[in-house]
Amino acid sequence: MTWHAPIHALRDYESGAIDPTQQLSIEAHLTSCVSCRSNLAALVDKGVLERTWNAIAAETATPAPGMIERLLLVLGIADHSARLVAATPSLRRSWLLAVTTVLALGVLVANEADGGYVFFLALAPMLPLAGIAAAYGPGIDPTYEIGIAAPMRSFRLLLIRAMAVLISTVALAGIAALFLPGLDWEAAAWLLPSLALAATCLALSTVVPPLRAAVIVAGTWMTVITAAAWSASTEVSARSVFGAQLQIAVVIVGIGAGLVLTARREELETGEHQ
Amino acid sequence: MSEVSVNGIVKRFGTTRALDEVSFDAGAGITGLLGPNGAGKTTLLRVLATVMSPSSGEVRIFGRNPASPSDRLQIRRRLGYMPQEPGFHRNFTVFEFVDYVAILKEMTDRKARHVEVSRVLHTVGLRKVESRKIKALSGGMRRRVALAQALLGEPELLILDEPTAGLDPEQRLRFRETMSHLGEDRAIILSTHQTEDVAALCPRVIVMNHGTALFSGSPRELAEVARGSVWLSSERAPEARLSYRTGEGRYRNIGPAPGDADLIDPTVEDGYLMLLGDEAFVEAA
Repeated sequence: MTWHAPIHALRDYESGAIDPTQQLSIEAHLTSCVSCRSNLAALVDKGVLERTWNAIAAETATPAPGMIERLLLVLGIADHSARLVAATPSLRRSWLLAVTTVLALGVLVANEADGGYVFFLALAPMLPLAGIAAAYGPGIDPTYEIGIAAPMRSFRLLLIRAMAVLISTVALAGIAALFLPGLDWEAAAWLLPSLALAATCLALSTVVPPLRAAVIVAGTWMTVITAAAWSASTEVSARSVFGAQLQIAVVIVGIGAGLVLTARREELETGEHQ
Repeated sequence: MSEVSVNGIVKRFGTTRALDEVSFDAGAGITGLLGPNGAGKTTLLRVLATVMSPSSGEVRIFGRNPASPSDRLQIRRRLGYMPQEPGFHRNFTVFEFVDYVAILKEMTDRKARHVEVSRVLHTVGLRKVESRKIKALSGGMRRRVALAQALLGEPELLILDEPTAGLDPEQRLRFRETMSHLGEDRAIILSTHQTEDVAALCPRVIVMNHGTALFSGSPRELAEVARGSVWLSSERAPEARLSYRTGEGRYRNIGPAPGDADLIDPTVEDGYLMLLGDEAFVEAA
């Protein structure tokens, strides 16, 4: 004769209100009895089962984060912020490689050509600009429209990504600057313009898409530098083009851009002007 | 109070009026937007999803005004949106992508977020492929990933733009099953070209063309628009606006019926074609 666990015993087993000896006995029986397993399944709350499976799946399915995400986690960045940064198109390995290549060419020109130093100083601030243009916006960020309709503020997302791009590009440009001929303050003359151009691009992004904003800012920057080089009374050099006058001007522009960005940040929250 | 209330909205792009004095209310259950390409369905859904604002007219979602920043945030916290052409970070896995959108939806607690991601992937039947890269998925599977992200956080209002586009018949049936469950306790507004989807799913349908709402009512009422205008014949009827041979060998005709016509019950598709008029018959032919 086949023994089956009584329903009340299965109910006690399911609720955990059973002594250890009986529990072991029922568990041993359940492994070989389809009928009792079926009776027990009927007693189990489906919602609890689903939640349990979801929790198990969530633990087992979580994929290992990519290189950039791992690096950010090591640096103590919260996992959700790290994921937002990792999704930045302009932080892909191929992009960083392209930036490194451009900087290497800039260093080469600075060491070999007349006026090459000025070329490097004009070029370096445009790299974070290009990175910001490729970090967010319609046609750039594939999840742009989903992101706009989500409660997280687009302003915050743009700032997080812009900061990540700025830090990584400035770090690469800083390393490249170590290889410029003659290491003095002039080797860092690109830094303030980099920050100012990035801030101006972000401010302009409240009016036009970031990509267009970057093109406008880059065009204006090149025009200003060309004009400064033409009007230099002495020989074109880092000192004559990127001197104190320009540094003060870019600081003023940067602060102004920051104020505009703060005042107009709400414009980023719909896809209207984008 | 209806979840969605739209009153006389107009949306202009330059000189084009993509939406022209559209008004309707939508409450719990599924509301289908039916219309040809360029009818204004996507623009309307983008307005409802708070992605863009109308040029004029009034929109209220959960009684709140999406033009106000604080109201807009509250609306977005209760909204799920699937755009017509959802983009993906193609190097992400399915799980990573939905997890990413969960972060955009302010789910910062990692454990709770991952449980929620698993739940929505289970709902759309993608658990088995959650570790697969999105770039390796078929078009139908990508649509399900897009649907999964819209379901995050159990939104009270779901806005789905062409959710059945690219789905095969089996996937479409599964989608209908999922939607009918979800539509029991929340408002869903979806756009589609498929009259079968509307007939199968939506208690309410709005037909749009050239930016205006031509019809609002039940699928049965839409079918009734063609009552007396659908008949069968053994030969192609020259007076019909549209005539085609069915699998049984008889001709199904739509248009002004002759007096002795063998009239049959119209379908939602017939009503839709009659409503759109000559333009639709030219397209269908």
